[in-house]
Amino acid sequence: MPGMPGVDAVTQRARELIPPEGVITDVARLRTYECDGLSHYRVVPALVVIPEDAAQLAGVVGACAEHGVPFVARGSGTGLSGGALPHAEGVLVVTSKMRTITAVRPDDQRAVVEPGVINLDVTRAATPHGYYYAPDPSSQQICSIGGNVAENSGGAHCLKYGFTTNHVLGAEFVSPQGDVVQLGGIAPDTPGYDLLGAVVGSEGTLGIVTSATVRLVRLPEEVRTILVGFASTDQAGAAVSAIIAAGIVPAAIEMMDALAIEAAEAAVHCNYPDGAGAVLVIELDGAAVEVAAEYDEVERLCNDNGAFEQRLATDPADRALIWKGRKSAFAAVGRISPDYIVQDGVIPRTALPEVLKAIAELSGTSGVRVANVFHAGDGNLHPLVLFDESKDGEAEAAEEVSGAILDLCIEHGGSITGEHGVGMDKARYMPRMYDEADLDTMQLVRCAFDPDGISNPGKVFPTPRLCGEVPGRHKGAHPLQEAGLAEVF
Amino acid sequence: MEEAHPTSTAEVAEVLGDATSRGLTVVARGRGTKQGWGMPPTSADLVVDLSGLARVLDHQAGDLIVDTQAGALLSDVQDVVGTERQRLVLEETVPGTTVGGALATNTSGPQRMFFGTARDLLIGVTVVRADGVVAKAGGRVVKNVAGYDLGKLVIGSYGTLAVITEAVFRLHPLPDVERWVVTPVDGPGRAHELAQAVVHSQAVPWAVEVDLPASGPGTLGVLLGGKAEGVADRAETVRRLLGDAAEVTDTTPPGWAAYPAGPVLLKLTFALSGLRDVLTAAREAGVHVRGSAGAGVVHAAADDAGALDALRAVCARHGGSVVVVDAPDDVKQAVDVWGPVPALDLMRRVKDQFDPEHRLAPGRFVGGI
Amino acid sequence: MTDLGETGAIVDFGAPVEGGAFDEHRPPDAALVGDCVHCGFCLPTCPTYILWGEEMDSPRGRIYLMKEGLEGAPMTDAMVSHWDACLGCMACVTACPSGVQYDTLIEQTRAQVERHHDRSAGDRALRGLIFALFPHPKRLRLLRGPLRLLQRTGLDRAMRRTGLLDRMAPQLAAMERLAPRLGRPEPLPELIPATGERRATIGLLTGCVQSAFFPGVNSATARVLRAEGCDVVVPPAQGCCGALSVHNGREAEAQGFARRLVDSFEDRGVEWIVVNAAGCGSTMKEYAELLADEPAYADRARAFADRVRDVSEILDELGPVAPRHPLEMTIAYHDACHLAHAQGVRAEPRRLLEAIPGLELREIAEGEICCGSAGIYNVLNPEPARELGDRKAANIVATGAQLLVTANPGCLMQVASAIDRSGHPMGMAHTVEVLDASITGRPAATLMP
Repeated sequence: MPGMPGVDAVTQRARELIPPEGVITDVARLRTYECDGLSHYRVVPALVVIPEDAAQLAGVVGACAEHGVPFVARGSGTGLSGGALPHAEGVLVVTSKMRTITAVRPDDQRAVVEPGVINLDVTRAATPHGYYYAPDPSSQQICSIGGNVAENSGGAHCLKYGFTTNHVLGAEFVSPQGDVVQLGGIAPDTPGYDLLGAVVGSEGTLGIVTSATVRLVRLPEEVRTILVGFASTDQAGAAVSAIIAAGIVPAAIEMMDALAIEAAEAAVHCNYPDGAGAVLVIELDGAAVEVAAEYDEVERLCNDNGAFEQRLATDPADRALIWKGRKSAFAAVGRISPDYIVQDGVIPRTALPEVLKAIAELSGTSGVRVANVFHAGDGNLHPLVLFDESKDGEAEAAEEVSGAILDLCIEHGGSITGEHGVGMDKARYMPRMYDEADLDTMQLVRCAFDPDGISNPGKVFPTPRLCGEVPGRHKGAHPLQEAGLAEVF
Repeated sequence: MEEAHPTSTAEVAEVLGDATSRGLTVVARGRGTKQGWGMPPTSADLVVDLSGLARVLDHQAGDLIVDTQAGALLSDVQDVVGTERQRLVLEETVPGTTVGGALATNTSGPQRMFFGTARDLLIGVTVVRADGVVAKAGGRVVKNVAGYDLGKLVIGSYGTLAVITEAVFRLHPLPDVERWVVTPVDGPGRAHELAQAVVHSQAVPWAVEVDLPASGPGTLGVLLGGKAEGVADRAETVRRLLGDAAEVTDTTPPGWAAYPAGPVLLKLTFALSGLRDVLTAAREAGVHVRGSAGAGVVHAAADDAGALDALRAVCARHGGSVVVVDAPDDVKQAVDVWGPVPALDLMRRVKDQFDPEHRLAPGRFVGGI
Repeated sequence: MTDLGETGAIVDFGAPVEGGAFDEHRPPDAALVGDCVHCGFCLPTCPTYILWGEEMDSPRGRIYLMKEGLEGAPMTDAMVSHWDACLGCMACVTACPSGVQYDTLIEQTRAQVERHHDRSAGDRALRGLIFALFPHPKRLRLLRGPLRLLQRTGLDRAMRRTGLLDRMAPQLAAMERLAPRLGRPEPLPELIPATGERRATIGLLTGCVQSAFFPGVNSATARVLRAEGCDVVVPPAQGCCGALSVHNGREAEAQGFARRLVDSFEDRGVEWIVVNAAGCGSTMKEYAELLADEPAYADRARAFADRVRDVSEILDELGPVAPRHPLEMTIAYHDACHLAHAQGVRAEPRRLLEAIPGLELREIAEGEICCGSAGIYNVLNPEPARELGDRKAANIVATGAQLLVTANPGCLMQVASAIDRSGHPMGMAHTVEVLDASITGRPAATLMP
């Protein structure tokens, strides 16, 4: 690319390190990488590299560091916050060729995988040994472990089993200087700071993970998946509260409202109850006798709260179909609306009825339709705000409703993102959730790892911190500051 | 040495701000139950006593969370949440500990096998930086990926990054019943085999604990909790796995969730398949070992640090480490307390950012941090 | 805030932008392109993404390239290479939660590529030869015979020059080894009356590859239909269905084949037109779209397409009347892409096979992934096809089944050579051949190599 000597130098280095098909400069090809799963943010990267191993990847990152070229990591490109949005003058480092499952160690309850390995493939590799990988984002059939680590991905079963951060125990990590560093390991509690805890969920702003050691969880003796139909989300929400209050922690409790059900039905014919205003997908797992006891109680609690239909999955295919309806819901909304925004906010579970009512009011007054899909057990909402780009003003109205929903979440003491990440999309909302000191303190971590700010710049934080600016030791304005692009806290 | 006794986050900020302007080194203290852990700080001009931040601020039973000041006793937190039949699954392995103390030293007990450790339970944290700036991360909801997880960085940081003043945890329901299945074991081999059998069973053990004295037989204990019918059935499954000598009991076995006692306390970690080798090495070294065979984290009590190198070698072979948690000062000065630490350079950079003047517990942590 | 370049919503584009890759005659439909929400669920089902892990060689990436073309990007060699690399297996269509019609999009794109892209001389020659050969059963049949017959036709020199024979020879040899030997099949008469009470009148497509390489499949189809109470009509004038042409962007050629086929089955009094080759069936079901712009044919093509059924669909729908004899064997059923993904026919063949007493059906891991045959893909792109074939063969062998059953001649040829390479030879048969053996009471051994 003309006028980007740094990129040229990195390109040359990449060609020395990586086979030709893994170094992409053709503009038509580059453009296919211009967005991730959040396609309304688009930036054509200056260079795409697809390394085959950690050494190649570290070499490219090292070259980026040497020439001050920004880099952005990307796995399968399914992220929903624009976290893998490329940099126009930077390198997109794609891990989709690094997909070796290095080791499956059932005796140690661990697997070691490269970052491009697909989430579901870890479970597929572990299942013959009686194990699985618990975090299950809805995109688990395609999302990569590297992306999961960057985003601290969740999923339906995180209610009981926790998120990616609870299941990644070690990582080989390439720092923004291009150094390969080992964080954590196969054994727990590595001495020193829990840097891995900071890296997981840092959205690629601290470096790139080139290998992850993940926990494998024993397959449960029994799994029961129940599909429950309610007349309203209020009833369904009350049932969720009753189940939690009874001291039951299901593997998952998912809720979908009527509009979301309609979309899922259209897409995958999942055979959800007719006329339901809301459905719950409840999964219980564990030892057989315990699951049976919990099932009886859940069934009773659902009935007490107005369930009009309860269906227990009879076989794995039935169970898969119930889950398919839920897990396809986002993309399925494409069947009932030309465009939509997938929102991701969190509220305390007890605020659910109140917040749902407020969302309905927002929808009513604005005329913007909102379909609701959520992880009801942990208060993680995924309102899908529907609109038609081709109609004047609809996109703006949808954007406004979407933002107002986040405000609702913050008002109720929740979070602006439960699992999709801040990325490009929500950086501007960060100051609503955290004050300047909070954000400044978080960026101390960034400054430790990436003082030059070349690892996925522009994401997560609305304003980059200028590293090395210790209070009382100012040495004059930083160029970024002079240009009005950054400010010192 | 000065002492400060703040009662709120704001007061802690004031104290640390003042210390900054005066250039004082600072050590935070809860109830002082683990004050001797880690290396002795090279300097401590000011002790910030957090026992005045002892309130459990808010328990939201419906949301299964609790918000507490860092100086609150762990037992007080349990009392408050217990009224709603809930609990914080952070076991009190050191009696009388505060919440902040447990976080700063990352203590853990038997149930870490199923419920994880502080890093898996802490959902929000408020800290005061060395320069007196108050910062928080996370929040009051379990699911939250907004911003960096500072909570994880301060857990186990021994007060070298910031002073923890407030913490929000996720809670779990109190089980209706708890049962232990306990069997004697004659040595490392048997302990390993039985532990593996239970760990890989589908009985959902909440804890698999091994307790092996320096010589003679030890025990393997398995904890199961939950609904009565389920627990009875799971306990029976485990009893069959453990063999004829196993007994099911509803009383806590002796020594459960307590570190073994001795002048020198070591923390050993290893991949699960390394249990036999680790226990064998401990036996050869004549140290008493107790801890989680299900998580690969055990503590050893010894008279001195003579076995350190041998234990380090075997734990390292199984991907783990050995840390001298507590020992008389002369012992600590004579050995490498923390052992080899990967990524030390990055850790130093983190320390430099948070505490550029190295005034928080200097020298207490890894690599002289 | 650092400059991140252009951001904004995807623009709504109508007709292709001037100077872009496409002309105005059926460009890839912008509205269909717009249906893609970029979720990536198609990626793990795409054979080339599985092989190479590159966005451009995934359905999502190929759609993105179409979008670029519509927005004004010129048709470059790079772009075309990624569309060419698509097997057209349509696994992505099945996987897509948003209902993106990738099948339509790639066909539209390929027709544009054939019009606007200058292929290399070698590539043109190979493609020309393929289309001089495949849609013509009589020429194809020569490939089965001794080489001297081939030489007499003059085709041989051309084939050697393009390397076609080298590419096909291992497949032909493997097929000869593994396909069931049913003796020399007789040409089918024009009418085969039903056994017992007549339940339906059916027109049978005999196909090109099927009739040349697997005439036994056609005979078996006719016998099974007859036994199940169908009059079977076999119009002698029928030719190629045009599937290979459609799939490779040769639109006008395809339309010619389609018109001829519509003509040949018209006024024959058939209620259904039954196909035993998945690729042919899926194309014939879409004749309405193919001939939509031809006033003389549009309505007739729609009526024709509505009557097209895969043989397993019709047998499943009619239900059995002919008694089944036991076949004590284990089989692995391979979903042909153009049956499972393009036509949604998955349950019917399984139900028919499982209804045979003594027969045990085993599922193949990664069943939704293409075997690499994909029409003539394995001839045009031998390397990826071979890799996919080996992957498929390994999964098939892992089932431990004695016989592989599938419903497409292309798959049979492709998998036969891959299985042969794997060193674990096993029997191969079409679904109807297994049904035929059961109905006629032949032993399982007759299906084995």
